Amino acid sequence: MRALRGLLFLASALFTGSIAFAVLLVGWLTVGLLAITPLAVPAAILFRAAVGALARLESALARSLIGARADGGRYTSGGSGYWRRGLAVAIDRAFWREQAYLLVRLFVGWPLAVALISVLGSSLWFVALPIYYRWVDFHIGSWQADSLQRAVLLVPVGVIGVALTFAVARGIARGWRGLAESLLNDDGPRQDLRLMHSRILRVHAFLTALAITVSLIVWALVGGYFWPGWVIIGTLLALVLHGWIYYVLSRDDWRGHRAIAMHAGITTALAATVVQIWAFAGGGNFWPIWPILAFAILLGAHALYERRRGPLEQRIRVLETTRAGAVDVQETELRRIERDLHDGAQARLVALGMNLGMAEQKLDADPEAARELVAETRVGIEEALRELRDLARGIHPPVLTDRGLEAAISSLAHTSAVPVFVSADVPTRPPAAVETAAYFVAAEAMTNAAKHAGATRIEVRLVREPSLLVVEVSDNGRGGADLSGSGLVGLRRRVEALDGTLTVTSPSGRGTTLRAELPCES
Amino acid sequence: VRVLIAEDLALLRDGLTRLLRDNGFDVVDAVDNADALVHAAKAERPDIAIVDIRLPPSFRDEGLRAALELRETVPEMAILVVSQYVEHAYATELLAAGGGGVGYLLKDRIMNVDEFVDAVRRVGEGGTALDPEVVAQLFSQHRTKGPLERLTPREREVLELMAEGRSNAAIASALFLSLGAVEKNIASIFTKLGLQQTPEDHRRVLAVLTYLQQ
Repeated sequence: MRALRGLLFLASALFTGSIAFAVLLVGWLTVGLLAITPLAVPAAILFRAAVGALARLESALARSLIGARADGGRYTSGGSGYWRRGLAVAIDRAFWREQAYLLVRLFVGWPLAVALISVLGSSLWFVALPIYYRWVDFHIGSWQADSLQRAVLLVPVGVIGVALTFAVARGIARGWRGLAESLLNDDGPRQDLRLMHSRILRVHAFLTALAITVSLIVWALVGGYFWPGWVIIGTLLALVLHGWIYYVLSRDDWRGHRAIAMHAGITTALAATVVQIWAFAGGGNFWPIWPILAFAILLGAHALYERRRGPLEQRIRVLETTRAGAVDVQETELRRIERDLHDGAQARLVALGMNLGMAEQKLDADPEAARELVAETRVGIEEALRELRDLARGIHPPVLTDRGLEAAISSLAHTSAVPVFVSADVPTRPPAAVETAAYFVAAEAMTNAAKHAGATRIEVRLVREPSLLVVEVSDNGRGGADLSGSGLVGLRRRVEALDGTLTVTSPSGRGTTLRAELPCES
Repeated sequence: VRVLIAEDLALLRDGLTRLLRDNGFDVVDAVDNADALVHAAKAERPDIAIVDIRLPPSFRDEGLRAALELRETVPEMAILVVSQYVEHAYATELLAAGGGGVGYLLKDRIMNVDEFVDAVRRVGEGGTALDPEVVAQLFSQHRTKGPLERLTPREREVLELMAEGRSNAAIASALFLSLGAVEKNIASIFTKLGLQQTPEDHRRVLAVLTYLQQ
C-alpha cells in the first residue's frame, strides 16, 4: 500500500511538475521584465501567491500520500507600504524554499515519474504478453516472442520489473518525505536537516547505481557503440558533487568557507562535464578551455569577495552566539538567586517574625517561654545571615573586588574540602569582568573536582600574559567530565562572552584539566 | 572604656552605640567613613575603635585599610574590625600589623550581646578576639598531615577557642572543664606543636595564630 502511494506521489510530479514549470517560468519572466517598473510589486505578490498555492497543493499531496509533516504555502503578505510589500516577498524565506522544492519536483521528480511509469508500463506489458503475443511483433535482437512458451518466459521479467518499480518508488518516497518536511513548512524545517540530507544522498547513490546497471544491461542486450559511458560519467559526477556538498555542510568548522567550497565543487563538476562532452564528441581543438576559464574567473571573484566579507561575518556570528549565551547565563543566575532568596532568607525571616510575635504575647504571662523564643530567634537570624552571606559570595565574593583574583582564589582554596595548591603570577590586576569570570572558572572547577571527580589534590595556576589571563585548574580525579553538564556549559558561555576560550581535557581515569584563556588589554 | 565606632549604616551605628552605652562603655564618637575615623582616632585617642570593613565611598575595604593605617599612627589604640563576611587574609593582615589588642568578628556575633561585650572589653584591654569562622579557615590550611593531626579532639577544641582569643577561664567554662584541665591541655598542645609557652594570654594567642598561618 505504502509503495503504491509512494508511486502515486512520484507520478503526480508529471502533473504538478508541469504546472510548477509554467508558474516559475511565467513568474520569473514577468517579474524580471517588470523589475524596473512599479508593476514589479503586484507581479511579485501574484507570483508569491501562485507559488504559495502550488506549495499548498504539494503539501497536501505529500501529507496524504507519503505521510510528510508538511504544511507550507500558508503565507500572509507582510510589510506595510507599497515597496515594502514587494520587499517582503523577496526576503520571505518560505518563498525561496518553496521554489526550491518546486524546482526539485520539476527537474528530479518529473524525469523520475517518466522513468518509473515507463518501467511499470513495460513490465505490465510483459506480464500480459502471453494473452496477446500473437498480434504483436516483440523481439530482442534476433530473439522473437513468437510462441506461447517464449511469451511466458517474459512474464517473470515483467513481475520482477513491477516489484522493482514499487520497491524503488517506496525508497524514493521515504527520502522525499524529508525533503518535503524541510522545504514545505512556513516556519522552517521540521527535520533534522543533516539526517534528511544523508537519506537523500543514499537514495541518490541508489538511483545512480540503478541507472548505471540498467543502462549497462540494455547496452549488453542491444549492443552498439558504448553509449552508457555518458550515463556512467554523468551520473557519477552528479553523485560526487552531491556528496561533496553534503560533506561541506557537515563540517561545522568550515562555516565561513562553505559557500566557496560548494562553489569550487560545482565549478569542478561543470568543468568535468564540459571535458566529458568534448571527449565524447571526438576531441580535437580543446574548446572547453573557454568555459572553464570563465568558471575559474567566477570562482576567483567569489573567493575574493568571501575573503573580504568572511572574517567580519564570522565575527558577527560569534558575537551573536556568545551574546545569546551571556544573556542566558545571566538569566539563569538571576533565577537561581531569586529562588534562593525566596526559599531561604525570606522564608526564614517570616518564621523568625512569627517567633518574635509569640514572644511578645508571652512576655507577661510566661517570661521564661518568651526568653526561650527570643533565644531561638537569634539563632535563626544567625542562620539566615549565614545563608545570605553564602549567597552574596556566590554572586560576587567581596574579597575579589577588595584584593583581587589571587586572594579570592586562595580564600576559596581554604574552604575547599580537597587540598588546593595555588600558584599565581598576576602582577597587574585584569579588568573586573575578567577577574570575575576567572574566579568562577576556578570555583566551578574546584567544586567539580571535589564533588564529582573524587580528586584528592587540586592545582590552580594563574598566569597573566601581556594581553591574556590564563586560569588552569587540574585535579587527579577520575576524569571523564560531562562536557554538556549545565555547570561547564554555563562556564563556557561566561568565558566566551569575554571572547575567551575554555578547554576541558578529561580523559577517563587520568584527571581533569580546565583551562580558560581570557583576553584582557592591560 | 572609651569607644570609637565607624559604621556607615545609621541603623547599625546607632544600635551599636546604644548597646555599648547600656553596657557601661563610653562611646566618644560614632562616624560613618574612614577619613572621619582616622581623624577622630587621632583627636579623641579612644581605647578601642570598632570598625566596619566596608565604608564609603567605594564600599570595598576602606575600613580595614584605615584600621591598618591606625595601627601605625595610633598603635596603643585597640581595633575591633566587624564585617558581614570574614576572610582569613584580612585577619592575617590585621595580626601582622602588630600593636595593641586586635579583633575581627562577623557582625552576626553582635547579636550575642554578652559575648560581644566581652570581646570588646577583651580587645580593649589588649587581648584578641577572632571569629570562629576565621579560626576554621586557618585550621583548614592544615588539613594535610602535620602536627595538628596529632592533637586529641579535646585539645583541638581548646586550641580553637584559644585561637579565638579566649582566656583560660573562658575556655574552661565553655568546655565544662576545670581550669587545671585546660592548662594541662594547653601545655600538651604547645609541646605537640613545638611552641614556646608564654604566660601572657595575648602573646600566647599570637604564637598560636602565627603557627596556624604558616
